[in-house]
Amino acid sequence: MIVIKDLIVKLKEFKLVIPELRVGRGEYLVVMGPSGVGKTVLIHTLVGFIKPLRGSIIVDGRDVTNEPPERRGLALIPQDYGLFPHMSVYDNIAYGLRIRGLSKDLIDGKVREVARTLEIEGILSKYPHEISGGEQQRVALARALVVEPKVLLMDEPLSSLDPRLRIKSIEFLKNLHRRLGFTAIHITHNLLEALELGDEVAYIEGGELMCVLPPREFIRSRWGREYLRELLMINKYLST
Amino acid sequence: MSRLWDRSGRAFLLTLSVGASILITFLVIPIIALFALSDLGVMGKVLITNEEYASLVWSAMATTLLASGTSTVTLLILSIPLAYILARTDFRGKSLIEAFIDLPLMIPHAVAGIMILLAYGGRGLLANLTRSLGIAICNTFWGIVAVMAFVSAPIMIDTIRVGFESVSPTLELIARSLGASPAKAFTTVTLPLSIKAICTAAILSWARALSEVGAILIVAYYPKTINVLIIEWFMTYGLKYAVAISVPLVLISLALFTILKVVLKK
Repeated sequence: MIVIKDLIVKLKEFKLVIPELRVGRGEYLVVMGPSGVGKTVLIHTLVGFIKPLRGSIIVDGRDVTNEPPERRGLALIPQDYGLFPHMSVYDNIAYGLRIRGLSKDLIDGKVREVARTLEIEGILSKYPHEISGGEQQRVALARALVVEPKVLLMDEPLSSLDPRLRIKSIEFLKNLHRRLGFTAIHITHNLLEALELGDEVAYIEGGELMCVLPPREFIRSRWGREYLRELLMINKYLST
Repeated sequence: MSRLWDRSGRAFLLTLSVGASILITFLVIPIIALFALSDLGVMGKVLITNEEYASLVWSAMATTLLASGTSTVTLLILSIPLAYILARTDFRGKSLIEAFIDLPLMIPHAVAGIMILLAYGGRGLLANLTRSLGIAICNTFWGIVAVMAFVSAPIMIDTIRVGFESVSPTLELIARSLGASPAKAFTTVTLPLSIKAICTAAILSWARALSEVGAILIVAYYPKTINVLIIEWFMTYGLKYAVAISVPLVLISLALFTILKVVLKK
């Protein structure tokens, strides 16, 4: 689990304030909010790319606030998936395991197992530029999950997918989470992702954490209603 | 031919080709002239038949290739850390350091030679240090290497830096979140992704080192490099003899750079 306490991050004029945020073991937290409010800053701080001004980040009872990224046990999937272009899909997935110095056989077993789970066995020898956006997303997931991170951090992981693939990916992520039970923080602008995937939804506005609510309550809150507007506008076209 | 070059595209390409042809012609004609107007008799004499001349020429050629190679390898090893720091960090005085790095590009070659002499020469600023290390630069092989490194450093550092800058820092950060140390993230992600830029930097820097003569004349007239010998023979024996030893230099350079470019493309 991850606990964030009295976190203040300052980047020039921008300030992010998170008084308290908890994500229990196996929980799936979706973070929402307008663009530029600090959602990415939050997960970059959690993973250790940005040093907070104040506060603490506790992962499984250990304060990791001053630990470098490689010692935090958190894995990140950025918006563009961040696959290593010079490595095959297999080598991308095996990267974290090789860093840990595991034996060749053990690495092979783990890579093939996660590839089977994510249904990407057929593309292991391909390179990132040779596979589709949906496949890239699964490879990024595989690469992050294979190292068994304490928390998986995802920055708008489905935003570059077309609507059909996005719905398929939501289903896929939902099933995967149910099966593997990993702890996740998922940033999105998409209400459907929040409702389908989130155990809870955190909403950030103007650099401040406004609420953490279960999805059904979030959609009825004043912050959730903002997202409903778009749906209501679409609905207008369906009803006429 | 791609769709970009449809009828109107081809017309535009033709217009561009006029300017491009003028430039290519301007660059190629001197090379053709060098080969066309060389005297085979003199060339045979100085390169093969006359032992005294031939030994002078080939020893100068070896000195040039060895010194430029040493300068390039040394610079390569030292430029990678500097280029990485410049590409990834921001600090006070960075612009000043960048200006110092690029200075050898702007100053006359003779001045560069004088500066090397004043810094590391027998009576230079760091004379005691170089003496205690057993390194002399005045009229030595290491003097030539120092000059070549000084004049080609900006090309090496700037080209590698551009290569590092073209690799997204996010990739390194992801590698770190997957457990890699900063050094491991650099060697497994940024370095392999910049390999093309690094090879290009080495080729360009080597080319620059190979062509240096002005600063070498000031710091190390001896052991003679082929460039110094060309100037000396031009002054002493005239154009025919200078051309005779310029041809193999151009041929060797052309062959080496072509091979490297082909290897790099693969």
